[in-house]
Amino acid sequence: MKLKQLLKLVFINITQNKVRTFLTTLGVIVGTATIFMVVAIGAGGEARVNEQYAKLNVGTIIVMPAARGKVADPLTKKDALLFQESENVARAFPLLRGNGSITYDNFSTNAGFQAIQPGFQDSNHLTVQQGRALVEDDEKKKNKYAVVGAELANTLTDGNPSGIVGRSISINSRKFEVVGVYNPVGDSGTGMSYDDSAFIPYTVGEKYLLGTRANPTIIVQATGLETVQSAIEDITNILNETHRAGGAEQFRILDAGSRLVAAQESARTMSLLLLAVAAVVLIVSGIGIMNVMFVTVKERTREIGTLKAIGAKKREILGQFLIEAVVISLVGGVLGVIIGFAAVPLLKYFELPALPSISGILLGLVFSVITGVFFGFYPAWKAAELNPIDALRYE
Amino acid sequence: MANNAKCIIDAKNIVKIYQNGSDELKVLDDVTLQVFEGDFTAILGPSGSGKSTLMNILGCLDLPTSGQYLLDGLDVLKASDNELSGIRNKKIGFVFQKFNLLPRLTALQNVMLPLLYRGISESEAMERAKQKLTLLGLEDRLTHRPNELSGGQQQRVAIARAIVGNPDIVLADEPTGNLDSKSSQDAMEIFKELNQQGNTIVIITHDIEVAEQVNKIFYIRDGKIYNDGGKGVG
Repeated sequence: MKLKQLLKLVFINITQNKVRTFLTTLGVIVGTATIFMVVAIGAGGEARVNEQYAKLNVGTIIVMPAARGKVADPLTKKDALLFQESENVARAFPLLRGNGSITYDNFSTNAGFQAIQPGFQDSNHLTVQQGRALVEDDEKKKNKYAVVGAELANTLTDGNPSGIVGRSISINSRKFEVVGVYNPVGDSGTGMSYDDSAFIPYTVGEKYLLGTRANPTIIVQATGLETVQSAIEDITNILNETHRAGGAEQFRILDAGSRLVAAQESARTMSLLLLAVAAVVLIVSGIGIMNVMFVTVKERTREIGTLKAIGAKKREILGQFLIEAVVISLVGGVLGVIIGFAAVPLLKYFELPALPSISGILLGLVFSVITGVFFGFYPAWKAAELNPIDALRYE
Repeated sequence: MANNAKCIIDAKNIVKIYQNGSDELKVLDDVTLQVFEGDFTAILGPSGSGKSTLMNILGCLDLPTSGQYLLDGLDVLKASDNELSGIRNKKIGFVFQKFNLLPRLTALQNVMLPLLYRGISESEAMERAKQKLTLLGLEDRLTHRPNELSGGQQQRVAIARAIVGNPDIVLADEPTGNLDSKSSQDAMEIFKELNQQGNTIVIITHDIEVAEQVNKIFYIRDGKIYNDGGKGVG
C-alpha cells in the first residue's frame, strides 16, 4: 500500500475517535510545551547572564585582604607594579574601597566609593555619559573630584542626573566636585557594583578618606582568560616574596571569569533539571500512548485479521499502527508548541526570562515523534505479528 | 469428473494437527481435493468437522502440518510470510460469515482496500471498486458505512471486495450464516451469477440448502473428505 493511502487510513481511524485521540495527546501536549518552555527559559536565562556580564572583563583577578578592617601587612601600590611585571598580567591597579554616606543636594544615601588610578577606568570599560573621566592630573594634584556610577547618579538626583556634573557631593562629610557620570556596566565581577559607587582619585582616597585605614585591593587584568591561572600563581609567588610575615595566605585571590562560568553553569543546570522533568512527562505520556495503542490493537483485532486476509503485509500493519501512534504524538507536539508559545508572555509576567527559539520548537517536535515511535512500536509490532486466524476469530 | 480446465486448488494428503499440551488433535486427516477453474463448489460439514481449518489452509491463512498444496501451480508451503500475503491479495477473495467490513470505511473504501494493498493507484482502485459495487446493485450506497447498510447489503459489499481484484478463487466461509433467508437466497444468486461469469467459487458451509445450489460438493466429517467432489447427497 502506498504511504499516501496508509496515511489516509490512519487519518480515518484517528478522526473517528476524536475524544480518545485528544486525551491521548494530552500528555504529549504537556511534555512538548514543557520542553519548548524549558529551552526558551534556558535561552532567556543564558541571555540574561550574558547581558549581565557583558562588560565584565573575564581576565579580571581581584587580590584583596582576607580580613576586613585594619591589616598589619596591607597591599601596596608597589605590589601592583610588581604584579604588572609578570608576563601573564596585562595591568594591575590598586584600589581603595569604602562605604559611607554620600550626600547631594540635602539627599543622603549609603553607597560605596572607590579610589582608583585613571587607567582602571579603561580596563573596566568605565566610560562617561556626561562630563569627563578621572585623569592622571587629578591623581597627581590630588584633586577632590568624583565621577559617579550611573545608578548612584540616578539615586542621588531622583532619576534626573543631567545636572549633577559641576555640582558637589559629600562623601563621609568631605566635599567633592562631580566631574562626570559613567555609563552603566553591570556586574563588575569584583563583588562591588561600579554602577552604584562614586569614584575618586586614588591619592585623594589615601589622603582624605581612608588615611591610615587604607587597605588596598588590587585589580589585576590577566593577558587573557587562558592565562588567569598562571597569573594567579605568579601573584601568589610575588606576595610570598614581598609579604614575608604572613605570605599570600593573608590575601584572597578571586577571578571574575570563574564567576561567569559559574553563573552560566547554574543556568544550564536549571535548564537540564527542567528538561529532565519534561522527559519524565513525555515518558509518562508515551506510556499513555502505548496503553491506548494496545487497546486500539485489541479492539481492532478482527479488523487486523481481515486486513491480513485481503493481503496486508506485516510491515503494512506495523506501519499503519506506528504511523497512528506517531501522528497522535505529533498532533500533541504541535499543540504543545502552540501552548508553549502562548505561555511565553505568562512566563515573562512572572519575570522568568523566556526566549522562544526554532531549536525549542524542533526539540519539542522531535521528542514528541520519538515518544510516538518508541512507545508505539511495541503495540504496532504486536498487531503485525497477530496470527490471522486467531485475529479473524476474535470477538 | 473429467476436466480439461485449469486446476486452481490442488491439495494432496493435507494433515493438520493441533498440539494441545501433550494431546494431539488431528483436525484434518489426509485431505485431498482439487478445485478447477470455473467450479462452483461447496465444502459441506457439521461444526467441528474441520471445515474451517480446511478453509484457512486453502485460503493461505494457515499452513498444514504435512501434505502438499498447490494454488494455481504455486507451492504454498514454500512461500514466505510476505509471499503468502501477496497470494491472499491477488489469488484469493475472502467472504466471511460476519462480513468483516472495516466499520470506519465507506462501502467504496472497503472494496478499494485489496487493490490499494496491491499498490494500485487510488483513482484506478476507485474506478474498479465502483464498477463491482454497481455490478452488485450498490451504486447508491458507495459512501455508506457498514452500520448504515443492511446485512444483505453488507455481504454484497464484502463480495464486491472479494472479487474486485479478479482473484483465481473466491472462498466464502458460511456466507449466508448471518443473513435472513431472503438475503441468503440473494447472496446465493450472486454467487451463481459470478460463477456463470467465470469466477471459481468455494463455499464452506454446514447448510445443506446452500450446498444443494452448487455444482460440486465435498463432504467433510471428522477431518476427512468423504467424496471426491461429485454432486449428490451422502
